[in-house]
Amino acid sequence: MNNILLQLQDLHKTFQIGKISYHILKGVNLTVEKGEFLAVMGPSGGGKSTLLNILGLLDKPSAGLYLFEGKEVSSLIMRDLAKIRNEKIGFIFQAFHLIPWATAEENVLLPLLYRGKIERDDVERAKVLLERLGLGKHVNFKPSELSGGQQQRVAIARALINNPTLLLADEPTGNLDSQSSKEVMDILEELNKEGLTIIMVTHDPEIAKRAGKVKILRDGVFVD
Amino acid sequence: MNILILKLLLGGIFHKKLRLILSILGIIIGVSALFVMNTFGEAAKIKTLQEIETFGPEILIVVSGQARVRAGRALQAEQTTTLKLEDAQALRKLSAIRFISPLYTGSAIIRYHGRNLSTVVQGVNEDYLKIRKFSLYSGRNLLKEEIMGFKKVVILGHKVKRELFGDEVADGKVIHVNKLPFTVVGVLSPVGVDASNQDQDDQILIPISTAMSALFNVDYLSAIYLSVASPTLVPLVEKQVDEILLRRHKISPKDRDFNLIKAEDILKFKTEASTLFSSLVQSISILCLLVGSLGVTAIMLLSVNERRKEIGLRLALGAEKKMILKQFLIESVCISFLGGLIGFLLGFLAILIFLPLLKYPLVLPLKTILVSTGLTVLFGLLSGIYPAYKASKIDPAILLKGL
Ligand SMILES: Nc1ncnc2c1ncn2[C@@H]1O[C@H](COP(=O)(O)OP(=O)(O)OP(=O)(O)O)[C@@H](O)[C@H]1O
Ligand SMILES: [Mg+2]
Repeated sequence: MNNILLQLQDLHKTFQIGKISYHILKGVNLTVEKGEFLAVMGPSGGGKSTLLNILGLLDKPSAGLYLFEGKEVSSLIMRDLAKIRNEKIGFIFQAFHLIPWATAEENVLLPLLYRGKIERDDVERAKVLLERLGLGKHVNFKPSELSGGQQQRVAIARALINNPTLLLADEPTGNLDSQSSKEVMDILEELNKEGLTIIMVTHDPEIAKRAGKVKILRDGVFVD
Repeated sequence: MNILILKLLLGGIFHKKLRLILSILGIIIGVSALFVMNTFGEAAKIKTLQEIETFGPEILIVVSGQARVRAGRALQAEQTTTLKLEDAQALRKLSAIRFISPLYTGSAIIRYHGRNLSTVVQGVNEDYLKIRKFSLYSGRNLLKEEIMGFKKVVILGHKVKRELFGDEVADGKVIHVNKLPFTVVGVLSPVGVDASNQDQDDQILIPISTAMSALFNVDYLSAIYLSVASPTLVPLVEKQVDEILLRRHKISPKDRDFNLIKAEDILKFKTEASTLFSSLVQSISILCLLVGSLGVTAIMLLSVNERRKEIGLRLALGAEKKMILKQFLIESVCISFLGGLIGFLLGFLAILIFLPLLKYPLVLPLKTILVSTGLTVLFGLLSGIYPAYKASKIDPAILLKGL
């Protein structure tokens, strides 16, 4: 039991647009253990991103339970949710979402802004992280001066700066060529080996193979 | 490391520089207008006070005709010929009067060694310099005997002396005033433009007797200048003078053919005019600021909309909505403040150039600076409220929707 990081029980999500409501997640059950590397696949519009938003506390489920580290989180207040996002969860997006006017290093340090302070140590740590991801020479580059693969690696460094327990990735290789995809997957695999729990959404079966476990989300439920 | 926090929080302001400048243009204009106009108003007030100082609070002028004060200037509505030298002699008997000088103003062409110029000729007596507190640059005042004896002597205003003589000594030389020879006995020190907007350096002073006979051949005066023993006696003397002249002219108060002007009237009128002007300008500047801050609002809304991903990202990385709200409020205050700063600098530059050019004293109205700073911060805050609210309402879930 102690090894479980998060659990979803009969989770539902309904979007209301005008008078019509769209039932997207229809009773999702999921258990993710610490150190797991889970790939989620499924048809477009199947609710993968919706699920990831809920897992990342960016959205609330309409019904059901979400236990994170054994604690029910879907009923927490905004401030506590923000704190968990900041300290425990790292995000990687298909479109990188780096801030265009900030350097690679500054982008990596951004999560610390919401922790209150940035120490000399932190700047050092950001540098080490970037170096480790092969961007030692690009610390002061702006996103527009980096390739897609390099941008995604900056985003990974940003996700790691607060030592999260969970890394959420929505199609992290979706905008990358095969060489960059491979590099990014190598990094994720390495991080997972070091104990980081990763949940990744992908369309690409080759990419999914790199994960320890693959689940298919279709019509709002996991099918095996 | 605080700089880094500041940059991560507010770096977005400077991302699009052209847009930034466009958005603060209104604020720049508003603040510089506010600053320049207030400074001008302040400088004008000080200048008026200085002018009144040379005019003197103890001076009373009897102006012939239905004179009125308008825009700080004594205007003659109609020329009357009823103010006589005998009136001045009658007034001289009042005990509270220290000096009194009749005055006839005309203009004439004066000539020296082939150099011609047209200037104002003032026929006065020996008291005039004392009343006006003019000092002599060289030479001496007119003498009582010269006034009595219809002598052709002249005191030159400073500018007249410069133009006719340059650096040459003028005293003792003979100039021609409308072809009559006059001997220069003195030159006035520079005075400048006085409260009645007359350039006191562009005039010559001659005996009143000579002016009324040989030069202009009239039997009436333009004005009588009085200096009262003490400023507190001015109202009393004003009343006495009024009574004496009405009696001598045998008219009732409503047909008064002269007007009494004192320094206070001119001051009052000038300050009234400038207060009206400055309150008008102030409302326009504030309107400008208001429009300017609407500009900031519009640009901020655009910016919030464009940076939805950035906002979503910040939320995903652990920002509370409150912090997003704060960030955008601070951004718009900073933007407005930047506009205010630029506006202030431009305004400052303008007054540095124009105040000396218009011979106004250089003043730096601290109150105006504080008020306009406060206003820009306030307007910045106001203009940021709605965009910031919009920003805080952005749903971070948009990050995972494809691009
Ligand atoms: N905020 C929302 N309001 C209304 N409908 C939404 C909202 N978010 C998602 N949906 C709908 O939910 C469905 C699932 O969307 P979701 O993005 O989770 O799919 P997905 O599995 O990630 O698809 P893809 O593989 O194309 O990224 C879609 O039909 C989408 O239109
Ligand atoms: Mg998706």
